[in-house]
Amino acid sequence: MGRIFLVARREYLAYVAAWGFWVSLLTAPILIAALIFAPVLLARAEPSRLLAVVAEQAADANAVIRAFEEQARDEARTEVRAFVGATAPYLAERATAAFDAESDRGAAVAAVRAIVAREAPRSLAAFPAPTPRYLLVEPPARGIEGLRPYLDGTRTLSSGHVLYGALNVRRDASGAPLIEYWSTNLQHDEPTIIAGRAMRLAMQREALARQGIAPEEAERLNQLEPAVAQFDPRPGAAQGEVTVRERAPFFAAIALAFVLWSVVFSVANMLLSGVIEEKSNKILDTLLTSVSPVEILLGKLLGVAAVSATLFLFWGALGGGLLAVAASKMSDSFVGQIAAAFLEPRLIAAFAVGFIAGYLMYGAIFLALGSLCESIQEAQTLLGPVAIVLSMPMLLIGPAMDNPNSPIIEAASWAPLFTPFLLLIRAPAGLAWTEIAAQGALMVATVIVLLFLAAGVFRAGVVNQLSLAGLFGRKTQKE
Amino acid sequence: MDAALEAEGLVKRYGARTAVRDVSFSVPKGSIYGVLGPNGAGKSTTLRMIVGVLKPSAGRISLLGGPISRETLRRVGYLPEERGLYRSMSARGAIAYLARLKGTPARTAFRRADQLLADHGLEKIRNKRIKTLSKGMAQKVQVLAAIAHEPEFIIFDEPFSGLDPVNQRALEATIRAQAQAGRTVLFSTHVMEHAERLCERILLIAQGARAFEGTVSEALALAPSVAVLETDGAFDLAGALVPKGFAVTLEGEEHGNKRWRARLENGRGSRQLLQACVEAGAPLSLFEPARASLHEAFVALVGDKIKPSTVAE
Repeated sequence: MGRIFLVARREYLAYVAAWGFWVSLLTAPILIAALIFAPVLLARAEPSRLLAVVAEQAADANAVIRAFEEQARDEARTEVRAFVGATAPYLAERATAAFDAESDRGAAVAAVRAIVAREAPRSLAAFPAPTPRYLLVEPPARGIEGLRPYLDGTRTLSSGHVLYGALNVRRDASGAPLIEYWSTNLQHDEPTIIAGRAMRLAMQREALARQGIAPEEAERLNQLEPAVAQFDPRPGAAQGEVTVRERAPFFAAIALAFVLWSVVFSVANMLLSGVIEEKSNKILDTLLTSVSPVEILLGKLLGVAAVSATLFLFWGALGGGLLAVAASKMSDSFVGQIAAAFLEPRLIAAFAVGFIAGYLMYGAIFLALGSLCESIQEAQTLLGPVAIVLSMPMLLIGPAMDNPNSPIIEAASWAPLFTPFLLLIRAPAGLAWTEIAAQGALMVATVIVLLFLAAGVFRAGVVNQLSLAGLFGRKTQKE
Repeated sequence: MDAALEAEGLVKRYGARTAVRDVSFSVPKGSIYGVLGPNGAGKSTTLRMIVGVLKPSAGRISLLGGPISRETLRRVGYLPEERGLYRSMSARGAIAYLARLKGTPARTAFRRADQLLADHGLEKIRNKRIKTLSKGMAQKVQVLAAIAHEPEFIIFDEPFSGLDPVNQRALEATIRAQAQAGRTVLFSTHVMEHAERLCERILLIAQGARAFEGTVSEALALAPSVAVLETDGAFDLAGALVPKGFAVTLEGEEHGNKRWRARLENGRGSRQLLQACVEAGAPLSLFEPARASLHEAFVALVGDKIKPSTVAE
């Protein structure tokens, strides 16, 4: 045990003494935060896209313009509601009512801002300034031919901006609307969807008018919408109704499965490169007179596990602290409920068990592979098939989100190499204890078998100089 | 004879290839013992079997009075042929780490590392990382790492390769000092001069098999007699005597004279050689019987089994 500890200690110190370790330790949370928030920030930073609407009939142009304004208003409503829900959930109802009371988008946002300024002034600094994705401008020319130079960038608007796109609404011989969308961005067609929705509504109203139904009644019909609720029939479900609180554990489980997968792959790679470094440094012969191959293997596994534990302690303390604050301060909001789900003890336990089992299984495989390779390049050629196996659980996340207990997910969770990840994803779906125990036993058995096999391969690789090159006829036997 | 190591009928096979075949030898306690042979003879394989890194395909090894075990290996120091240390460790840390793996307590290991570095004039590199040291310097550190746990039996595999002549002499002194301290030292080499200067007994291996085992003087006795000759001017003594069946090689030239070395084999002695020189009209300025070298003994013993290029003088 003493020698295993010495090998583990050296391994641990070698990693934590490297500057790269500290860079990873400190930058990973920043990078993860950037990955989460960058798309939101980038979307906010993008200026509004300028659109012009030309139509044969003024009513059509007005209908389309109104549709864009309503879209912008809905988006602003969603954004300020999300902000209030996250920062001051107790103001959510009042803020929504204040927003809905104002017909003008800007005034509605200002009304909510005034409430936040009065009731939760500490949150005001982060109050969003929703930017509409589309701004409708006065067409600089009458027809599409006249607009072309503005659309292809040859000319700019009087404000100096470039016209992003133009919608031309015409009527055919039968009076049916025809929408043409002109833009140099061929990948993007959302304006046609918004305009199409507006004109479909206009067509419905025209049809209803022909049936003698007044526009007000048509508007009332359009507003009709059923109340929808989803329920969980299981006896354990508290009130039965499924809300964000009930869905939050699934989101948390998927996020944790992704973290688990990334960490297992990263630390297994550390083991692989570590053993290759020792082989290329020619230090194994020296070690083998003092330490057995199995002791080296176990020492390395233990050392890198300690490195992982250090990372988890730091990230866990940081992330756990933030999540605990979010869960307690914003318990009614979406963010607070997701944060609380991350801190669910059963999920943390599933993550810990999944990490230990996954690390030992993949670590043993990577160590064995490393012992057969003479260089990182040689190892990389081997990693292709291993990476495919490793990526399988991630490919199953999509189906798992749709139904965590689907036959394919259930069957795949019995494959020991996938179990750590899929058990975690399935945990919130209410697994039977017998299934958890059986899969746990399967993982333990697989870990034992893999460690035993890895020790054999490791011994052959480091002692008998068995190598991939040797297996494929390029063996250079020592004297 | 009290033996530190007894090997009997050692065999190591790799598939169809036999790297070591039926090698037996015994290393007396407190002696300096050499394992000699050309590159690829099976020296390293033999040593790796002795230190338990390789399992023999057949044969028996008794190390320090018992079978190879973790306990006996803790009393053995080993410098492998393929040398290497953790590159990010300091010289002091590397020596202490390997001593600790052999069971030396941490405090003692660091104290001995400091002492060994000081004794060998290496205090300056004490805290330098291995990756910053020259190859020769790193090799010296590894030699110290092999002896830091004060083993009873020290095994060095090709310890002189990669060292300059000054450091080779220093290493010879280290080996002698270890033997004087009562430790047994076994080393392999393909350079006969080191063995000739240091060893009491030697094992000659060629093509994986034992060619000779005994004292250096016993090995030298098996070598043919030699004579050193000098001729004036450009006279080609080899050209004159080789056709007559004498093994004559040019050793060097000095002040216009050529110095030759002739092996006296096949029942022909100094008298016949001298007579052949006279008959050939050789302008001799020196004719002197000399002591054969270990290299000559080695070539005489296994010369027909090895390629000339694999034996270094």
